[in-house]
Amino acid sequence: MRHPFITYPKLGIFYAIFWVVIALGNSIIQWKWDDISFGVSLGLCIVFYFSFAIIGTGIWFVIQYISFEGNSNFRFISSHLIAATIIIAIWLYISSVIVKLLGLHVEGYFKASIPYWLFGGYLLYVVFVISYLAITYYSNFKDKVRKEGELRSLVKEAELHALKSQINPHFLFNSLNSISSLTMSDPGRAQEMVINLSSLMRYSLKHNQNEKVPFREELENIKHYLDIEKVRFGSKLNTVFEIEDKCLSAKIPNMLLQPLYENAIKYGVYEATDPVDVITKCTKNGEFLVITISNEYDPNVITKKGEGIGLRNIKERLQVIFENPGLIQIENSDNIFTVTLSIPQEN
Amino acid sequence: MTEKIRTLIVEDEELARNLLKSYLKDQEAIELIHECENGFDGVKMINELKPDLIFLDIQMPKITGFEMLELLEHKPEIIFTTAYDQYALKAFDFHAADYLLKPYPKARLEEAVAKVVEKFKKGGSQPDIVDKVASFPKDEYLERVVVKDRHKISIIPVDQIRYFESMDDYVMIYTKEGRHIKQKTMKFFEASLNPREFVRIHRSYIVRVNEIAEIQQYEKESYVVILHDKSKLKVSKTGYKNIKGTLNF
Repeated sequence: MRHPFITYPKLGIFYAIFWVVIALGNSIIQWKWDDISFGVSLGLCIVFYFSFAIIGTGIWFVIQYISFEGNSNFRFISSHLIAATIIIAIWLYISSVIVKLLGLHVEGYFKASIPYWLFGGYLLYVVFVISYLAITYYSNFKDKVRKEGELRSLVKEAELHALKSQINPHFLFNSLNSISSLTMSDPGRAQEMVINLSSLMRYSLKHNQNEKVPFREELENIKHYLDIEKVRFGSKLNTVFEIEDKCLSAKIPNMLLQPLYENAIKYGVYEATDPVDVITKCTKNGEFLVITISNEYDPNVITKKGEGIGLRNIKERLQVIFENPGLIQIENSDNIFTVTLSIPQEN
Repeated sequence: MTEKIRTLIVEDEELARNLLKSYLKDQEAIELIHECENGFDGVKMINELKPDLIFLDIQMPKITGFEMLELLEHKPEIIFTTAYDQYALKAFDFHAADYLLKPYPKARLEEAVAKVVEKFKKGGSQPDIVDKVASFPKDEYLERVVVKDRHKISIIPVDQIRYFESMDDYVMIYTKEGRHIKQKTMKFFEASLNPREFVRIHRSYIVRVNEIAEIQQYEKESYVVILHDKSKLKVSKTGYKNIKGTLNF
């Protein structure tokens, strides 16, 4: 995480005001109570507090290093105690050198005040730790809210895309026309196709609240979709699945895959006059589920541009969920279009 | 009716063809002579077999039903069969006898066939369909042009076209690789090309804006455009205004 003074530059003003007030207040109290001139009192407070203000900004990095998460309470406290002692020692040493250089050194008084500064130093350290932790939690919280909102809208977009592509006349009415044809020639297959179409629509209407579903479910949905297209395109569409069994229970974001197959069909099969293979391979590679979908296509056919909505949505969702921009790879060579998805898995 | 209507189907999906064929089986006026799976095949077979009637799908691989029609030398009656309703207007520009929205019932098909039978009884001949397509959708621009040079059909992406030159009833289309002739009017191209990319500089020329290297004045109030490959094209007065408007100078 970045230093809060960089993220929130306005914080610096409050920080400066805070230290001026503390230094001023303490110098007045010290002047009233102790037997020193106001000038010396103010000078001492300015030196000690301002140097702490400067050194204190560095406590941020200590917090990053010694965090609540991943440390037991005892370790957290003892580590900070050690860090505090080192920082305070450095602070007291630097401050006394400056005090001496400026001639604010009042014999007897200065030595006696050291324990108070020592105590004050620990107190300030604790204040720093609490403030920095508060800032960290606040900005994490804000981040999370933003991320959730983004994700929700992307999932909505994916759902909408799936629905839209199903009520797309090219798909829906041609499928219904195929069913109409099959009712006469092959009622069994007509029934099969109606069931596939229903399953496909039900899956995208389900409004799955869960962010992730087992790969098995996504795969089933894809097979319904491909079965429908197979009835329409017959031998022109040839699907090949090479899925390792251990992949089936892996979790992937829902409605992630359908747009990829839609593209494969749209650019590969719709435009082809010869059979086209759509090949799906899936392996589990350590912490990643790697899904590869490839199809042949004819590069000479010009189709409408600007239809990359499906791909863009997938890219953005993976980016938001896993915070990694490299999880989708697109390869376009030798008349073969390949998309590779790497879905991180929690063990 | 003594003579049957010789009918041909152009449809890419097998099941859709099967349905249509089974409907047509009971139509005594119809004699199915051939079926084609795509537009390329369609052009070839229609020009060869000269059917009286075609059933034509619009969305098909490689070239669309409309693009196929532009390449025909023989003009049959047309019944469109498609899942899209937004092409209906365009279909009637091609003087379609009817427009069947998939999925359609048998009764609807019978109606369409009856219309065609009626038309033939009256003995009306099919008017020339080419270039009735001025009503190109406003929000879309032409993306490709399909041409037929002797026995080959080529699909030219619009972004490979450098300029158009009018030649009587035809338009010569110049690309980097060569030139193609197409039976269309300049008016059609002017209306259907993206005005940011193409500019009409003369009665006889429409030029891709990015191909223009220089505009030279060679007499008072008359100009020529010099393209990147050094060819010179005349600019008319209106053309000069058009160029000024497009290039903002």
